[in-house]
Amino acid sequence: MRSLRRGLTPLLLLLPGGSWLIAFFAVPMAFMLLLSLQQGTFDTGYHLTWNFGIYPQVIGKYWALFLRSASFALMATALTLAIGYPVAYTIAFHGGRLKNALLLVVVLPFFVSFVIRTLNWRMILADNGMLFGFLKSVGILRPDFHFLATPASVVFGLTYNFLPFMILPLYVAIEKIDRRLIEAATDLYASRAQAFWRVTFVLSLPGVVAGSLLTFIPTVGDFITAEVIGAGNPEVFMVGNIIQRKFLDSLDYPAAAALSFVLVAAVMVLVIVYTRLIGSDRLSG
Amino acid sequence: MTPVPTAIHHATPLRERLSRLLLPSFTGLLLLFLFAPIGVMIAFSFNNPLGRQNITWQGFTLGNYVSLWGRSDITDPMIVSLGIAAISTVVATIFGTMIALALTRYRFAGTAVVNLLIFIPMTAPEIILGASLLTLWVSMGVERGFLTILVAHVMFNISFVVVTVRARLVGFNRSLEEAGMDLYADGRTVFWKVTLPLIFPGILSAALLAFALSIDDYVITLFSAGRTLTFPLWVFGVSRLGIPPEVNVLGTLIFVVAIVGIGFQIWGQRRGGRSTDGAEPITMVVR
Amino acid sequence: MTDERQDQTEVERAISRFFAEEPQSRRAFLRRTGRGGVYVLGALSLPAILAACAPGSPGASAAAAKLRWLNWPAYIDIDEAMTPNPTKYPSINAFIQQTGISVEYNEGLLDNAEFLAQYTPDLRAGNSTGWDVMSPGGWVVERMARLGFLQELDHSQLPNWTANCADYAKGIWFDPDNKYSVWWQGGITGIGYSPELTGREITSFEDLLDPAFAGRVGGFSDMRDMFGLTLLSLGVHPADATVADVQRAQQKLLSVPKDHFRGFYGNEYYDALAAGDLAISVAWSGDVSQMALYDRPTVKFVVPQEGGMRWNDNLVIPKGTTNTVNAHKLLNYWYDPAAATTLSEYIGYFTPVKGVDDRIRADAATARAGGDTATADTYDVLAPTVVPTADQLTNIFPDKQLSEAEEAQWNSLFETVLGA
Repeated sequence: MRSLRRGLTPLLLLLPGGSWLIAFFAVPMAFMLLLSLQQGTFDTGYHLTWNFGIYPQVIGKYWALFLRSASFALMATALTLAIGYPVAYTIAFHGGRLKNALLLVVVLPFFVSFVIRTLNWRMILADNGMLFGFLKSVGILRPDFHFLATPASVVFGLTYNFLPFMILPLYVAIEKIDRRLIEAATDLYASRAQAFWRVTFVLSLPGVVAGSLLTFIPTVGDFITAEVIGAGNPEVFMVGNIIQRKFLDSLDYPAAAALSFVLVAAVMVLVIVYTRLIGSDRLSG
Repeated sequence: MTPVPTAIHHATPLRERLSRLLLPSFTGLLLLFLFAPIGVMIAFSFNNPLGRQNITWQGFTLGNYVSLWGRSDITDPMIVSLGIAAISTVVATIFGTMIALALTRYRFAGTAVVNLLIFIPMTAPEIILGASLLTLWVSMGVERGFLTILVAHVMFNISFVVVTVRARLVGFNRSLEEAGMDLYADGRTVFWKVTLPLIFPGILSAALLAFALSIDDYVITLFSAGRTLTFPLWVFGVSRLGIPPEVNVLGTLIFVVAIVGIGFQIWGQRRGGRSTDGAEPITMVVR
Repeated sequence: MTDERQDQTEVERAISRFFAEEPQSRRAFLRRTGRGGVYVLGALSLPAILAACAPGSPGASAAAAKLRWLNWPAYIDIDEAMTPNPTKYPSINAFIQQTGISVEYNEGLLDNAEFLAQYTPDLRAGNSTGWDVMSPGGWVVERMARLGFLQELDHSQLPNWTANCADYAKGIWFDPDNKYSVWWQGGITGIGYSPELTGREITSFEDLLDPAFAGRVGGFSDMRDMFGLTLLSLGVHPADATVADVQRAQQKLLSVPKDHFRGFYGNEYYDALAAGDLAISVAWSGDVSQMALYDRPTVKFVVPQEGGMRWNDNLVIPKGTTNTVNAHKLLNYWYDPAAATTLSEYIGYFTPVKGVDDRIRADAATARAGGDTATADTYDVLAPTVVPTADQLTNIFPDKQLSEAEEAQWNSLFETVLGA
């Protein structure tokens, strides 16, 4: 009886969320997959012609955008890790009773709408705005310097907006580390740096992995940052932007769908490679 | 334990003092960075713009704090967004935690499929998720509105919850649970009294993430909203021609309310919590 | 043996210590799980709820008498100080008073392309969109009409339109007989610039490509606008352009160095132009007047000498609604000069109604006589801008009606300009 219950338990746990995802994600996406293999026009309708040729077509035409998006996403992930780790560490190890409160404080800016955050950043980062206007007036920057509408600004925007996605999982993992293990390391003559890298960081790897995934995956397909912070500059046009355009402006649904699935496949490959490298035991108990 | 001369592996006092300052000052800088746009938002909530755009400073006023309450066109979408975020967070957190538990604690055929089902929603572009959902709604004859937005939000939140909670479950030490089993001899009670509180930080973090995701969602919501206006939908639309300063006021108020709420929680903890100075958190006991 | 018992009590102690330490979080958590249970149950009954919400249920028809209008944001006069009586839009209140029809006004039309993507599934399925009146742009009207998404207008119910519609506001390429649409508001796409940043006056499209302005030039992400202006600079009317012409236009836009155009903007060009990040940009006439009034007094708008692009939004009645008589009443209302004047005095785009400029001047005179010089001045400045001048009319051009193949090609060519 007990073994039957044990066999059923994972199924019961998976059932609510799993069926939700199947009904409201997998089924609609299956239609989209079929749509990618169809041909026709928006006006006259699409017909399933099993047009697998669309995949090499869109890859051949837009592969550079995939590379660009991946590099932006990679940089943003690295930056969020570099910035987020110290924050998560500080809250976890030095937060004390204020831990949950500090966590909420860190995430608070993101409860204010994305549009408002971005608009205000645009104000701050304007060519002659609060920040750069000042730096230019004291001669630190050349007068024709600008930050907005550059690839750097897009990476900046992605980093800022995805910080909670890195900080929260990191915190989750760091917080449960037994501090006495670190004490033990230093007792064994390890320097503080060694104690950190060999004990703390290693034990926090599940959080690093989770945070990296939660940051990298959505940023690759991002389109809005390139539009509102990158100003639609040709140098920042990402995969997400071409999918938007194909879908909304060009009304080329098969191409939009095909590009989406290429994106999905490419990112999944990267995710699988990454998690294999780290070691899958980091991901499952 | 044999006493060890500690002077050997300590840095010189100055270096150590500086390196101790490093972390807090970095965190301080980071907080500055995090809250910079919020600061500007609060500042411009006091602006008195003559036109529709609130981008140049044109005069101080407190009037916006009064006029906000007459602006149901601003507060209504915000209430809708808060409601959807709250409900979808709760549902997605529950579903996602259950999936995370299943994935980390049980071996069963099909973990790969479940993992795909978790990761692919995060990788797929929002416009495709949104548009495909719309097709589903239309083909099912379902009218779009609050409920369909809710369904969509739960859908995309589950994945983020799973990944976050999983980070907490990995490497989870079972001996506490085993001790609990000996104490309570009932799996269910052990779960509620031991496991869940221990993974609570993971659940809380996942819930925070889900809430932030939901309250900010635009693209997917756009396709599932029908005639319902959520705050991002409204703000994206209005940003076209100028966001009124009352929006800044609303953002400021939300911010202030949250800070006050946190303050109360800290104060409540200080007053109500029995002093446990010197006690170690439970995570340190058995490893 | 004793060690085991000691371990057990340590665990017990630890567990009770944990709960002592965090009473609030446990309570909060249990509260949340309690709520969670309720919502799981709710979710399981979701299909039932969704089915009840499907159109055709008794609840839907009760709302039929109310007129539902989907419009763009900030496209109507609003009195923010007014408490809804019954709405905060004075001219809509006047309509409600005159006709006794209640109106649900919604500013959810955010982007032409998004709008189309949102409502096509319903319209194709023959469902109600939930709206009785909508305000899409020209090329969207053309497409919707072609696909059979729009109801034909009964002009016998639109006497005001017949009497008061200006010539420039009717018979446009996307609906030459106004079978499906009437003009709502319109404007010009031209060039906006700050003379102190450009160092000189701007007169031509070529100024956008001037190397002296590199890095501070704004383009549009709208394909029709951007290619339209470029085609005009090549001496080609967009309405007659061939794919070969568009290829030349594309090459022209690609002929400048990569960082010449700071970006291809949607609506965000306004912030950049007002902040001075852009010295010169493609711009909409109405935006620039607003900017000059409030955010950047020096900014100017000019229709390029080669030609500017004309645009307008339209009132249409989608299929799937039975509230057509009331919808016609609304369309007719906006062609009443008094209503049109109230609207224009607030939003300042091109009005389709004859005589509005004179009425605004009359209102200015009344205000001045009553001692309100501020309002009088504003109206005097505003009056000539709500109607296109004769000069402008000869030099602004419409979009082309694109076949599907052409549209695909033009879009593909534009993607390269955007950076694909």
